[in-house]
Amino acid sequence: MSSISELYDVTWEEMRDKLRKWREENFRNSEQIVDVGEELINEHASKLGDDIWIIYEQVMIAALDCSRDDLAWSCLQELKRQFPDSHRVKRLAGMRLEALERYEDANKLYDSILQDDPTNTAARKRKISILRAQGKSSEAIRELNEYLEQFVGDQEAWHELSELYINEHDYAKAAFCLEELMMTNPHNHLYCEQYGEVKYTQGGLENLELARKYFAQALKLNNRNMRALFGLYMSASHVAASPKVSAKVKKDNVKYAAWAASQISRAYQMAGRGKKENKCSVKAVEEMLESMQITMS
Amino acid sequence: MTQRSLRTASRASIGCARVKMASSFWKGVVGVGLFALAHAAFSAAQHRSYMRLTEKENETLPIDIVLQTLLAFVITCYGIVHISGEFKDMDASSELKNKTFDTLRNHPSFYLFNHRGRVLFRAPEQEPSTPSAQALPSNPLRLRKLENYH
Repeated sequence: MSSISELYDVTWEEMRDKLRKWREENFRNSEQIVDVGEELINEHASKLGDDIWIIYEQVMIAALDCSRDDLAWSCLQELKRQFPDSHRVKRLAGMRLEALERYEDANKLYDSILQDDPTNTAARKRKISILRAQGKSSEAIRELNEYLEQFVGDQEAWHELSELYINEHDYAKAAFCLEELMMTNPHNHLYCEQYGEVKYTQGGLENLELARKYFAQALKLNNRNMRALFGLYMSASHVAASPKVSAKVKKDNVKYAAWAASQISRAYQMAGRGKKENKCSVKAVEEMLESMQITMS
Repeated sequence: MTQRSLRTASRASIGCARVKMASSFWKGVVGVGLFALAHAAFSAAQHRSYMRLTEKENETLPIDIVLQTLLAFVITCYGIVHISGEFKDMDASSELKNKTFDTLRNHPSFYLFNHRGRVLFRAPEQEPSTPSAQALPSNPLRLRKLENYH
């Protein structure tokens, strides 16, 4: 089997930079991380210097995803040898136990970390993940709420809580979590868009209008967000089709929906430019937009 | 995705060597600027002590020392700006223009491992040994499917 560097003609620096990019942007492409990282560890360990420890951590977590327990064990051993009393390494050992579904042992390990250091956020988050893995979502939600009362600024935890609430179909509380995220990240179009989706799911006239406004805000922040464009089209169509609105509001929303539809067709046309099937795909988009029209029954 | 991205990275490797040479040029520029600054400082101190010796305390610094100080300062600043790395956009939302939903929901501190990857990626030699009691809680669907065949 040829190595990654031969297959793709890359140097070890590029592989290391790629791994760093995946690590910083939260990519979970574990197969690729295991392939690239394993080769870096086996062939280029001496050249990596101190970077190698964080690569060990990244590869270990990816190996747990890919069921490569041998690789995970060897990475863990290297890290234990280098950092014998580290809480971070203990957390990795706990994650390995979780992957093997030995949840009681993992819980004991995390409890011992928390006894040593009650402010350790990583161990608390892993305990919440154990509850979630065991399917006890209401307890996970409760624990996560308690965690967030103490550590209010933890963006990841707020987003995780919003996801837990969405899974429980508690959209009002999920919207609250997303509002917290939007307050601290006002320039992030993805949170605006997700909030609009939650409001749209809740339904009802005020929520649909609110959803339309947040989809518009997401588009203002990033005019290439296709999901927000579709969301704008759907929410404006819904409001226009609702029997409770005044004629002026109806007219405005029909205008918004028409604008969104034209933007969508234009985006698909631009994307399909230069390709042979452009005509058929444009026609398909128009048919799709027509079929999505809300008709009053 | 890796194929294309690693290939563009390999094309950047030629540029990488050029960048390394360029950064040592700018480091040289910063060094020259700092040296000129130190030289101007020493000249000014020497001028001050000469003035004290010849008792002409009211003469101002000669203009070439002043010019050298200012020029050295500007060169050092310019060199440091080039060494210090990429500039970020002032518009906070422009960085996020390329961010997609693929990675939005990945929270590394909350990763779960009880997904089908644990079973799908298992090596084929291990499979005959898996229908044991410990495998039951993790893949009940698979074993139920096997049982239907009997």
